[in-house]
Amino acid sequence: MEQLMAMARKRAEKVEIYSRAVSADRVNFENGKLKDIDSKLLSGVSLRLFQGGKLGAAYTQNLSDREGLVRNALMALKGGVEADYDLPKTGKLPQLDAYDPTIATLTNAQMAEECARISAAIAARTQAQVDVGAERMTLTIRLLNSEGADLSAELSRYGCHAAAMFPGSQAGIEQNLEGKKFAVFPDGMIDYVANTYKAALKEARPAGGGMKALFLPATLYGLVWRLREGLNAKNIFEKTSRLKSQLGRQALSEKLTMVDEPLNDKVPGARAFDDEGTPCRNLPLFQAGVLKNFYCDLRYGRKLGMTPTGNGFRSDTTNQPAPALEHLTILPGDKSFAELIGMMNKGIIVGGAMGAHSGNILNGDYSIGLAPGIYVENGAIVGRVKDAMMAGNVYETMRNVVAIEDTVGSTLMGRFPAILFDDVKVAV
Amino acid sequence: MFEQLKRMLSRVEADYADLRYELKTETKISFDARELSLMTSNTTDGYALRVLKGGGLASVSFTRASDAEKAIRTAEQNAALMGGRIEAPVRFAKVEPIQDAYHPQLDIDPRLVSIDEKLELLRRYHEIPLQQRQVATCATNYLDLARDRYFASTEGAEIREDLVTTRILGTITSQDGAQTQTARTGCGGSDGFARVKHREAEFEEKTALALKLLKATPVKAGSYRVILNQRLAGVFTHEAFGHFSEADLIEDSPTLRARMRLGAKLGSDILNIRDDPTRLHQLGHYKYDDEGAPARPTQLMKDGALVGRLHSRRTAAAFGEPLSGHSIAEDFRFAPIIRMGCTYIEPGLLSFEELLAQLGDGLYLVNSIGGETTGENFTFGAQYGYEVKAGKLGGMLRDINISGNLYATLKNINAVGNDLQFGEAGACGKGQLNLRSCNGAPHVLIDRVVVGGV
Repeated sequence: MEQLMAMARKRAEKVEIYSRAVSADRVNFENGKLKDIDSKLLSGVSLRLFQGGKLGAAYTQNLSDREGLVRNALMALKGGVEADYDLPKTGKLPQLDAYDPTIATLTNAQMAEECARISAAIAARTQAQVDVGAERMTLTIRLLNSEGADLSAELSRYGCHAAAMFPGSQAGIEQNLEGKKFAVFPDGMIDYVANTYKAALKEARPAGGGMKALFLPATLYGLVWRLREGLNAKNIFEKTSRLKSQLGRQALSEKLTMVDEPLNDKVPGARAFDDEGTPCRNLPLFQAGVLKNFYCDLRYGRKLGMTPTGNGFRSDTTNQPAPALEHLTILPGDKSFAELIGMMNKGIIVGGAMGAHSGNILNGDYSIGLAPGIYVENGAIVGRVKDAMMAGNVYETMRNVVAIEDTVGSTLMGRFPAILFDDVKVAV
Repeated sequence: MFEQLKRMLSRVEADYADLRYELKTETKISFDARELSLMTSNTTDGYALRVLKGGGLASVSFTRASDAEKAIRTAEQNAALMGGRIEAPVRFAKVEPIQDAYHPQLDIDPRLVSIDEKLELLRRYHEIPLQQRQVATCATNYLDLARDRYFASTEGAEIREDLVTTRILGTITSQDGAQTQTARTGCGGSDGFARVKHREAEFEEKTALALKLLKATPVKAGSYRVILNQRLAGVFTHEAFGHFSEADLIEDSPTLRARMRLGAKLGSDILNIRDDPTRLHQLGHYKYDDEGAPARPTQLMKDGALVGRLHSRRTAAAFGEPLSGHSIAEDFRFAPIIRMGCTYIEPGLLSFEELLAQLGDGLYLVNSIGGETTGENFTFGAQYGYEVKAGKLGGMLRDINISGNLYATLKNINAVGNDLQFGEAGACGKGQLNLRSCNGAPHVLIDRVVVGGV
């Protein structure tokens, strides 16, 4: 990378080199049988050149042809992509404990044993099709820029998920475990999958209309997705976010506090710098429902006159940095999961959310298929609802929070508790 | 290249191994709002190795040739681990080892078009919506991507195929006060750059749509009789039915397998569904899949009965059904999985006007904005729709998501139009992306679907 930097510095005013190497192993069981073992040893390098306020970017999988990489970036410079922002002179950063060395000694055989154990434990109690998967990953990132930043990070992640699937369907009851190192899938998660599956196996057909809705951590993304877009500096700049003039105002229920926590190294994925080298910081987004901050990368920070928040992330080296919330957390409340169910006179637990990606996301509208919905009456699960949809607008639903679970679960979009909302429209 | 691949394969100690090397070239250009936000051309490469040993099948993707030895040993170990744990050893359906090079005919090879021409074309399309006062923003993205794929196996296969995709996708966001609406744009294909040229009309129509959506009425939630237009019916076919024709999705689910048994009467008598990657000039066209099997047209449903399924070599052997050549990877970073090629409802006899007359009262739903399924149930969004009264189109509707039970809905398709159309720019996620996933349909009339509204 140093050679590439030296070569690129001769051709451009400012240079950024970002490299990323992933080593991952995934073991997958379906219906109690080992289905796949898949491994990856992938690396990539991305180069960004800046000249006269313009950007030229290129990437490759390896550095065998540095000259070709620079040539591609120089050609891209001619397009005239505006980039009149400065690269950060990031120096000393907090030391984060994001890598656990025991991840390197975890074998696929151990992961297969653990998946088999979980699968058998749930199947014995449910007689259901049980799907279980485990994955370990190490990620190494290095970023150099012409302002002198030389930053690196090493991260480890172990994840395990288990689901009991309803007959004739790919919908099921699921739990996810995530950490920096291997951990035994807890009995509590096995109990949750088995007990909830059994309670929801029977079909229920309630009348539609407005009712309470309990979104699980794994299904809350259907709502959070809309907020994430609303908070994105890109949508603030383009004036398409409904939150654009709401800073300092009560935008959601006062029960809701949402923060981005990149420095929390108790959970996997902690980062001291983002993928542009900006120092990360814990960023309050909604404090007791009051809108506190938007999030941005270098580009949109410059456009909006905001100090970059350290939220410029890439999905991999083939994509450019963009504003992203990679460490989103909704703070827990004070009710156990059982208490939340007990608070539902009539309502639906959103066990799976289909089609959360469609609909008018910028407007905050959602309309999701329940896959499954679990119908609750007088504080007890009655059964599973199929062929039903739940719809509303996130900026209204998020004002109708009844109560929040006292713990958080890991999901693909962040760490969330289960949240109980009032008066959500259900079509059956 | 094949000599290098064969040298690597010769070091594998296994019952079978195959190795894919891909040289990927791509150009991406993006406009966001009033500025060019991305322009980049790149070349990357990498390998995907599969090893079958002792009844276990394992795969390793790697990007450095120097990692080949480590990848081989890892794949051998993983295959052995799997072989020791599975009840039924993995077997492969027989394929004649083919030696061939296939370069599909391209009207204009996008790799030979200058980046300046691509940039100017995209700029012209992008500026169409920006002329309108009520367009708050728009995004327009150009992509051409070529996978120059070399496949070699220890059985002696040596196949090179060039897979070139060109597309332009975008969104147009209109605004009126606090109200925003979005229309999607898209064009492209697998037969060259000409597909995306002279497409101003697409961007003019979608701009008009984005503005009209601001004044459209939100649909009222409930249960309706509906006509789906070709794009929406195509996505329905893909999402709600097509995925469950993919053998790997159902093979370990005893209940889904029982429902999807060949011969099962799943649809109405008039419903015929087919997948055919050999259709030239369609987005989903290819000659060989990513395990060296020739693509084969596959009848999935005939007169409402399930008659065929999409297979890899592994699942064809496990199910005892014919190999179809549908094992596809996104690129070298992934092992192949079963994917649809070009899935479509075969056309019937009725014109759109005749379908409207048959509908009487209901909804006409147009274009897809994404869908999802669990096997039993599906949900997907319609870009917009119209109320239909006594066979006449009424006011425009918006905020339409529909949901239903797959099996009930297939039986509720009670009329099929004569106007088959294929999508130009589909994409399908199933753990990995398939840019060339293609679907098609004529207009179809369905007796009952649940509409969620907002």
